[in-house]
Amino acid sequence: MPNPVVHIAHLDLHYAGTAVLCDLNWRIYPGEHWLIAGKSGSGKSSLAKAIVKQEKASGEVIFQFDPNSPMPAKAYYVSNWYQFTNLEGDRNFYYQQRYNKQQQNDTLTVYADLVHFGQKQQLDLQDAEPILKALGFENCRATQLIELSSGEHKKLQLVQALWLRPQLLILDEPYTGLDRRSRTNLNLILDEIAHAGTQLILITNDSDIPTSINRFAQIEQGRLQSVTDLSKIAQDEERRQKPLPYFLQQAPYVDTDTMIELRDVSVRYGEKEVLKNVSWRVHAGEKWLLQGPNGSGKSTLLSLLNGDHPQAYANDIFLFGKKRGTGESIWDIKAKIGIISPELHWYFDKNATVWHTVASGFYDSIGWFVQVKYEEKKQMEQVLDFFDLLEDKDKLLHTLPLGKQRLALLARTIVKNPQLLILDEPCQGLDKSQTAHFNAVLDELSGYGKTLIYVGHYESQLPSCLDNRLVLEDGKVIFRTCSPESSIV
Amino acid sequence: MANYFNTLPLREQLEQLSHAEFMETSEFADGVNALKGKKIVIVGAGAQGLNQGLNLRDSGLDISYALRKEAIDQKRDSWKNATDNNFTVGTYDELIPTADLVINLTPDKQHTAVINAVMPLMKQGAALSYSHGFNIVEEGMQIRKDITVLMVAPKCPGSEVRAEYLRGFGVPTLIAVHPENDPEGKGWAYAKAYCVGTGGHHAGVLKSSFVAEVKSDLMGEQTILCGLLQTGSILSFDKMVEKGIDPGYASKLVQYGVEVITEALKHGGVSGMLDRLSNPAKIKAFQISEELKDIMRPLFQKHQDDIMSGEFSKTMMEDWANGDVNLLKWRAETGETAFEKTPAADVKIGEQEYFDNYLLMVAFVRAGVELAFETMVEAGIKPESAYYESLHETPLIANTIARKKLFEMNRVISDTAEYGCYLFDQACKPLLADFMKKVDTDLVGKNYNEGKDGSVDNVQLVQVNEILRNHPVEIVGVKLRKAMTAMKTIKTV
Repeated sequence: MPNPVVHIAHLDLHYAGTAVLCDLNWRIYPGEHWLIAGKSGSGKSSLAKAIVKQEKASGEVIFQFDPNSPMPAKAYYVSNWYQFTNLEGDRNFYYQQRYNKQQQNDTLTVYADLVHFGQKQQLDLQDAEPILKALGFENCRATQLIELSSGEHKKLQLVQALWLRPQLLILDEPYTGLDRRSRTNLNLILDEIAHAGTQLILITNDSDIPTSINRFAQIEQGRLQSVTDLSKIAQDEERRQKPLPYFLQQAPYVDTDTMIELRDVSVRYGEKEVLKNVSWRVHAGEKWLLQGPNGSGKSTLLSLLNGDHPQAYANDIFLFGKKRGTGESIWDIKAKIGIISPELHWYFDKNATVWHTVASGFYDSIGWFVQVKYEEKKQMEQVLDFFDLLEDKDKLLHTLPLGKQRLALLARTIVKNPQLLILDEPCQGLDKSQTAHFNAVLDELSGYGKTLIYVGHYESQLPSCLDNRLVLEDGKVIFRTCSPESSIV
Repeated sequence: MANYFNTLPLREQLEQLSHAEFMETSEFADGVNALKGKKIVIVGAGAQGLNQGLNLRDSGLDISYALRKEAIDQKRDSWKNATDNNFTVGTYDELIPTADLVINLTPDKQHTAVINAVMPLMKQGAALSYSHGFNIVEEGMQIRKDITVLMVAPKCPGSEVRAEYLRGFGVPTLIAVHPENDPEGKGWAYAKAYCVGTGGHHAGVLKSSFVAEVKSDLMGEQTILCGLLQTGSILSFDKMVEKGIDPGYASKLVQYGVEVITEALKHGGVSGMLDRLSNPAKIKAFQISEELKDIMRPLFQKHQDDIMSGEFSKTMMEDWANGDVNLLKWRAETGETAFEKTPAADVKIGEQEYFDNYLLMVAFVRAGVELAFETMVEAGIKPESAYYESLHETPLIANTIARKKLFEMNRVISDTAEYGCYLFDQACKPLLADFMKKVDTDLVGKNYNEGKDGSVDNVQLVQVNEILRNHPVEIVGVKLRKAMTAMKTIKTV
């Protein structure tokens, strides 16, 4: 048998006092491409970070890379969370920042970032071109990092990794936020580089995986457990369905039948037109699915509805029966909306406790500043209990796994029983059973007079209550279906 | 124009200086109503101008921007800032005559020119707002008697004003009405509504006066905020290099250390900052900061005296008239210091290491904050005002040093602050020469706790803690920080 490329022995890792990995042993031999799947919180990301020494662990991790290979002799990790800084090196962003135009650039452009990465890793910029193209990212060169959506940030991370072609590539939930075409192309490129000699470790519960994956494993009680194929991976148990809190079974107050009306709305950033002549009407009680590839303008469209975009003032937009820019404040608008998006999660104050996170849902703030009222407290307790978060309520967000953070933010979204729910990829970061559970919740909620706008890239993971559909491509509406009772704009 | 403050009788000077009332939330119950439907025109679209305008519009107010004709014709950054965010932009002639409230957010130095251009165009009974009172108090600008003059001064950079607003919060703010210009008695209603529009009412509002704002603002910025941070940083860096510490490490420790240290100050006050040290280190930092206070007190007093008498603004305005010769010379010198020229090394310095290895800066910050506060209060300024202009703003300035060192800090702050900063720095360095001779790497560059067993005299420790915690800046700080319930943690390191 040849020597293992990676030899992991007696790996122990503790996080906040709890053992995550205990005496984990793993050998990765040449030609192997691993998939690590399984339950959320089982230690998958921790293992990946321990391999690349981003997380402190005791035990041995020994690499024996091929010295004769033209590929960089290193392990490269693409985390499930992206990170960037402004030009001055800090990370104090707010989630609406990309819509506020300032002359001074806050962050590098995609192109400058790639040039920087290429110089650091000694790569030829031309080699990045086909990857940019395959991931549908070639039009973003001049875009500033702050302006990218979460899906686009994911693409930037992947472009760098695929361009680098290290001897060992570890990808942690690489499909998060990607549109379907990009997911397919990503798998093709992964197969290509695997064929050329890069060994893969893929962390995902997705079933559409590269064909080159030939080993499967999960983490059980801190140890790696090899299994024969995907079907043998233990999944989280079905979540016990609790009754929906009574207050959420009440139809929310609705201002007007036409909740949203956009008339011929266009938004441009300099030369780039992000929305082109979009007209859309949403009536109270409708459930909309909003779709489109990464960069098609979905986030911008939603930001117009949530009072987050300064260009709303230059367009013909009616929200809850009132034209934008006629004396309403953005807080009046936000009070009627429960919103969640990958960006909101990314920029959210992770030093907030779960309790404060949910409390901030009543005030639409990022973090919590005021005393909650008795009634509000009752609602919070019910929602936290409903999502099985009661025992985590005093923990800081950043100490929880991504899935639980997301549940806390979902609790924040619905806690005030808003008349309009805007759910932009609400289930990102959730595992299959959490996703199924949340979608079931939405289906149940939808029966109680809620209006819903839902963005999701996975057709198979949508709630069934969605009966209208709007599809954007390149800033234009290319498809629209309405249920019979909705009027066509 | 005569210095306004100097024209007042002592009784009136004291009265205006002592304006500082922390406002209850209930005083803002009317929201933005007083300005609803009124035409608000902002002059200047830089960081404060643009970001305040974005907030005010998002609060439901009618905002447009008046820019000089050249700025519009040449499509300067201010024009782009305003138009890219879909604001109406026009010349003074086009917009000022329509305005119910003109908000002047141009740099201090341009105020006289701007007001002279704008005032004749303003309609009868309109209001004019400043965010700094220098023009009124020091330059003695006289405003037409039918015009209401008010001030709304967010105590943070413009980008923060926007970021905090969108989080659903705000930044601490001073508001004031000029007693010479409140003909209709609407000044306070306007100032409060404007403050709500920027989100300031969520974070603590101080009812102040033009005089109190100017005299405390000048004092804070030239002594603790910019002056002492500059002096302390340069002396610390030079000392480390002299004693053989790696210059790259020294550069990093100084550049980021002041931010990490004052982050503790921001959340826990002076005592919270010293609590980050071990017991022996805390006692040492206490002792040397006492010594520093004794050495620097006369200099702090001189700065306050020159500010009160108008001597400072007179000299500075002479330099303005002289094409900023002194300012530019001193700025260039700052760019040439060894600290500025030595890049920070790519070494990891842990958060606690910044305290343990940079005890000297902890001592500097304590001495500077307490001295500035004490000196202002002795001069008749209320503790609340003195707190905002000393302790509260220190971390904000430290953040600019962390970003790009001192040259950048001086570029970012106002010219007024920068001018005062250099005056302080030039006088302070020789004053500290003897003190610095005694300083070794245990105070700066290496871990003070190294080779010590951590034991201290219990009674001594109790006394030190008591002195730290009972300082008036701590007493008022506890009260004011309560209003800033959710201060953001700065994430650089």
